[in-house]
Amino acid sequence: MKKLFAITIIALTIFAFIIPKTNKKVGTPVVFIIPQGWPTPAYNFDSNRLTKEGIALGRQLFYDGRLAKDGQTSCASCHQQSAAFATEDHNLSHGVDNQFTTRNAPSLANLAWQKNFHADGGIIHLDLQPLSPITAVNEMGEDINHVLQKLRTDSIYPKLFRAAFGSEMVNTQRMTRALSQFLLTMVSSNSRYDKMKRGEYAFNLPERLGYDIFQKKCTSCHVEPLFTDMQYRNNGLALEPVLKDFGRMRITRLASDSLKFRVPTLRNIAVSYPYMHDGRMNSLLDVLEHYKKQIIISATTDSLLLKKIPLSNFEKGQILAFLFTLTDSSFLKDPKFAAPPLVQVDYHHNRH
Amino acid sequence: MNSLKNIVFITALFLQTVAFGQSAKRTFCVKLVFHTMIGNQPLALDSNYTTLFGDTFSITKFKYYISHISFFTADGKEETITDNYFLIDEGDSSSKIITLQIATKAFTQLRFLIGVDSAKNVGGVQTGALDPANGMFWTWNSGYIMAKLEGKSPQSKAPFGNITYHVGGFSAKENVARVISLHVNQNMKSEININVDLNKWFNGPHPIKISNESFCMSSGKMAMEIADNYANMFSIKSISLP
Repeated sequence: MKKLFAITIIALTIFAFIIPKTNKKVGTPVVFIIPQGWPTPAYNFDSNRLTKEGIALGRQLFYDGRLAKDGQTSCASCHQQSAAFATEDHNLSHGVDNQFTTRNAPSLANLAWQKNFHADGGIIHLDLQPLSPITAVNEMGEDINHVLQKLRTDSIYPKLFRAAFGSEMVNTQRMTRALSQFLLTMVSSNSRYDKMKRGEYAFNLPERLGYDIFQKKCTSCHVEPLFTDMQYRNNGLALEPVLKDFGRMRITRLASDSLKFRVPTLRNIAVSYPYMHDGRMNSLLDVLEHYKKQIIISATTDSLLLKKIPLSNFEKGQILAFLFTLTDSSFLKDPKFAAPPLVQVDYHHNRH
Repeated sequence: MNSLKNIVFITALFLQTVAFGQSAKRTFCVKLVFHTMIGNQPLALDSNYTTLFGDTFSITKFKYYISHISFFTADGKEETITDNYFLIDEGDSSSKIITLQIATKAFTQLRFLIGVDSAKNVGGVQTGALDPANGMFWTWNSGYIMAKLEGKSPQSKAPFGNITYHVGGFSAKENVARVISLHVNQNMKSEININVDLNKWFNGPHPIKISNESFCMSSGKMAMEIADNYANMFSIKSISLP
């Protein structure tokens, strides 16, 4: 009996050490690799450890139209891989019930380094970001609780949540953390520009000349290696009279922020047309022409643009050659980011 | 057989310790019960009242966060309930009773925050009472709606005669969370009944006339004014001894 007593004590002691650990470490850890020479990510990975299962769940959610009211409009509807996770061809994004949103869907890449989201920076954490399109009436038009209910009653999702987080509980935090895990893995760092930096590729003459011009005339705002300084600036676009989008001012309510929008990344810029926060420009040549000639000077126009940007036609051509080196074709075709192999909408289950 | 009994006993004790952890020390039960009032009378949803400025109104929804509850003894010792957030919802009577296990037997002051600290505003998606699914979070301009009052008033200039006050903001200059300090005299409290007087929402340091200000939907000046007003809503109604 004494033996049994001792064994029980030992077993309980071991048990006490194991329980907290197994609760913490669910899933297969995935290491987030910071490309050489890049800054420290802004995202706090300690609060949301990347796992194979979490990423898989996030990917499933990203491609699932049931996150929207109409059961069809998924995150991927406006964030298409072939367009660097922007929307090909649409100036303004299209929401449920045949509605326009008020802005152009931004391309998605390297989100681990971004602190604020939306062109006006209104969202202050990557995990919070999906709640905005999900609930906006002109985007996915859903109610968070209703989305969670759809996931809870699904035949597959509770199992995916258990694999990712240790139990079948479905809540907003788990849903958005899984989405973040998937989004965080979308690192675009394998363009010709990156290969040049790593010494794996030599720029041809136009690319090299374009890079020189870029470093003289564009890099104050489009800072390498992310090609944005993450700041809000008025780049001299006219106010669109229907949308009346004053950008950052909507968030800060400061007149000094009127018409300021976050400097977008230029990575994969060749495939993420149309351009500007409302997609008003269809080609990169239009964009360069804007900086050369069309900047509107107002009280908040960025000080770096008050004299516009002098560019000869020759220089524009060279800059384009450089911008094309920012296209990361391995990112655009990476099967890890494509629609998951399992059918994302479980029609079979719904019929029963 | 005695040792078998011992094993069962130790196992039970162990499981209890694992399950309750630190809270095992907190042995006194105290209840905070919130009573929404219009002056001296209890609020009834959808009934008509008149503000002290003569505006007629009815309330359809009233919700607010309570957090950082602290108990102070006469000699200044503090016990704080950390990382515990409560969403008080006028439409859900069970939400209006906060039951706590505390270690402090005798306290003379109760302190809490109406609102949510900035750390939770900037810390991503939270769970429980702070889950954004509770409809108390601005998804387009991140931050909690710390208090929400909705209703109707013929004096409102908004569509359908709606009155809509969504009060939020967590930055240093626009923080609408307010610390509420209430003195309680007797020792050994088991139930503290707190009056929450909605008249003070309108009538306080910053008078809110419905005809002028029938909605507030972002952080900023008006939210700060309402916050200064609601900081005065709370008072002790009664205290029950065990």
